Amino acid sequence: MRTEGLTKTYDKSSVATHALRGVSLEIPQGAFCCITGPSGHGKSTLLHLLGTLDKPTEGSVFIDGKNTSELNEGELATLRAEKIGFVFQFFNLLQSLTAVENIEVAMMFGKRSPKEQRAQAEKLLDMVGLLDKAHAKPSELSGGQQQRVSIARALANNPSILLMDEPTGNLDSESGEEVMSHIFKIHRMGKTVVIVTHNDELAQKAEILLEIYDGRLKSC
Amino acid sequence: MNILKLVIKNITRRRGRFIFTLLGITIGMAAFVALLSLGGNMRAEVTRQAHAMGASLIVTPKNWCAYDQISILTGNALPESLQLEVYEAVAAIEGITAVPYLTQKTAVQNNPVTVTGILPAEMKEFMSWEVAKGDYFSSVDERAIVLGYGIAERFELDLKDSIRIQGEEFPIKAILAQTGSNDDVSIFLPLAVVQEVFEVEGYISYIAAQVADLSKLEFYEAAIIEVANVSVTSDRQLLSAVLSMLGSVNMTLQLIAGVALIAAAFGIINTMMTAIYERRREIGILRAIGAKGSSIFKIFVLESGLYGLLGGLLGVVLGLAVSALVAPLIAESSFNDLLKGAQIEVSLDPGIIALSIIFALVISVASGLYPAWKASRLTPVEAISYE
Ligand SMILES: Nc1ncnc2c1ncn2[C@@H]1O[C@H](COP(=O)(O)OP(=O)(O)O)[C@@H](O)[C@H]1O
Ligand SMILES: [Mg+2]
Repeated sequence: MRTEGLTKTYDKSSVATHALRGVSLEIPQGAFCCITGPSGHGKSTLLHLLGTLDKPTEGSVFIDGKNTSELNEGELATLRAEKIGFVFQFFNLLQSLTAVENIEVAMMFGKRSPKEQRAQAEKLLDMVGLLDKAHAKPSELSGGQQQRVSIARALANNPSILLMDEPTGNLDSESGEEVMSHIFKIHRMGKTVVIVTHNDELAQKAEILLEIYDGRLKSC
Repeated sequence: MNILKLVIKNITRRRGRFIFTLLGITIGMAAFVALLSLGGNMRAEVTRQAHAMGASLIVTPKNWCAYDQISILTGNALPESLQLEVYEAVAAIEGITAVPYLTQKTAVQNNPVTVTGILPAEMKEFMSWEVAKGDYFSSVDERAIVLGYGIAERFELDLKDSIRIQGEEFPIKAILAQTGSNDDVSIFLPLAVVQEVFEVEGYISYIAAQVADLSKLEFYEAAIIEVANVSVTSDRQLLSAVLSMLGSVNMTLQLIAGVALIAAAFGIINTMMTAIYERRREIGILRAIGAKGSSIFKIFVLESGLYGLLGGLLGVVLGLAVSALVAPLIAESSFNDLLKGAQIEVSLDPGIIALSIIFALVISVASGLYPAWKASRLTPVEAISYE
C-alpha cells in the first residue's frame, strides 16, 4: 500500500481546512504500522483516504499496485468489501443486530450462503473469545467486547489490510490489553495492520511508526 | 444475513414508531378500501334494483328533471302530473304493455313511506308479483292494502294490522313475496282509491312500459311521443343517470380517502428521514464494510415498501371489516332512500384487494424514494464522521 502526495482540503465551510498537506508513504504487505500525532492533525483523514472512504483533493492511494483514483464507486465498494477491514473508535456495530449478525452483515455482499456466513461468524467470534455472546445485542456488551466483535467483523471477508482508528482509545486499560492482544494475533496471521493510536504500547510494537503533525509526516 | 433480514431487524427496532407509521398507512388504506367496497356494492345494488323494475321505458311529464327521474328508481313519491288518458293512449299502442304509477307519501309509525296507486291486475302481471301471505286485490277499487315485503318486515306488520292513510284506516290484505326491487318498500292500493284519498282524481305520476321487441326501443319511444305530449326515457338511460350520480358521490369519498393516504405517505417519508439521521453512522459502517450506494438505496426503499405491504394487508382487512359494519347502517338510514331496505353485502372482490395492496405498495415505495436517495448519496466518510 502506497500513497503519493496525498492532500485533503475541507472547504465546505467559509474557512478551508488543510487536513493533509502532501503525504507520501509506503506500507509493505504484512507490516505493522502505527500512526500517531496530536488530535486534529489529520490522522483519521489519512486513514479514511487509505481505506477509500473519502477521495483525496490531490494525490493518489495505491492498493496492491492499483491506483484507487481510477476506480468507480462500485469498484471501490467491492475493494473495501474484499481487501480492507475497518475498526473505528466507537459505535462500530449496528444496534439492531446481535454480535453474530453484525459479523454476518459484512458478508452480505459476498457469495457466502447463510450457513457459511454463520459458520465463519462463529469461528471469528470464537477467535476473539466471545462465542458465548453471539446472540447479545451491542447494548448488552461492554466497550471492549464491542471492539472485539468489530475486529472479528473486520476479518469476516479475510481482507489483507486492517485499518483501525483508535481501537483502544475508548477502553479502560484492561480491555485495551485484551483488544491489543487480538490485534497482534491478526498481525501474526500475515495481515497488513494500520492503526491510528495514542497508545504507547502499541506504538512501540510498530514496525513502521508514522507521526502526523499539521497534516504532514514527521520523519522518525 | 441478507438485505431483507437486515431491513426487518431495522424496522422493528423502534417498536413505537413502527406501529404508528404502520397505523397511518393502515388507516388510510382501510378508509380507501371501505369506501371502494361500499361504493362498488351500492352500484351493484342500484343496478340490480333497476333490472328488478322490469320496465324498459319510462313515460314522464315533459318538464321533469333528472332528480325526479332518479326518484322513480328510488321509489320516492313523485308529483301527480300526468293525466290518466295519457296512460290509456300509451297502453293502446300495439306492442306496448304499460302500467300507471301514482305515488304519494304517508307515514307508518312516524316513518315516511311511499304509497303507490296501481291497477291491481295489470300490475301483478307486469311485475310477476307473487303473494306471500293473504289474498291479492280482488277489485279495482278495494279499500285495502297490499304490503311490500320489506315494509312488513321493518315495521313488523301482519295481515290483521291496518295502516292509517289521510285519516282513514286501511286493513292489510296481503303481503307480497320479496322482489328485490323498491316494490319491497312500498304500500300498494288500487289507483282509484289513492286518487280519491289524496284528491288527485284523474291523475297519475308516471307510466312504466315493456315493449314486445327490445331491438325497436326507439321506434316505440317515437310512437309514444306521437300520441302524447310526454318525455320518454329508457331504463338504461335512467340507470346510467343514477350511476353517474352515485359515481360522483363515490369519487368525493375516494378523494377524501386519497387525502388520508397522502397523509400516510408523508408519515412514511417522515419516519424514513428520521431513520436516516438516526442511522447515519450505521450507513457509514455499512459503506465501510463494502455496501454500495445502491445497496443503501435498496435497504431504505425496501424498508418503506414493507410498510406499504403490511399497511396494505392490514388496511384491506380493516377496511372490509368496517364496510361490513357500516353497510347495514346505510341500508337502514332513512335519509338514503336509494338503498332503503336493500341488502348491501360486503363482497371480497379479489381484484379490489389485490389492487389496493399494490396501490399501498406503490405509494410507500414512492414515499421511500427520496429518503433512500438521500441516504445513498451520503459519502462513506460523511456518514462515518457523524457522531
Ligand atoms: N468532514 C470534515 N469537514 C471539515 N473539516 C474536517 C472534516 N473532517 C476533519 N476535518 C478537519 O480536518 C482536520 C483533521 O481532522 P482528523 O483527521 O479527524 O484529525 P485526527 O484524527 O488527527 O484527530 C481537523 O482540523 C478537522 O477539524
Ligand atoms: Mg481522529
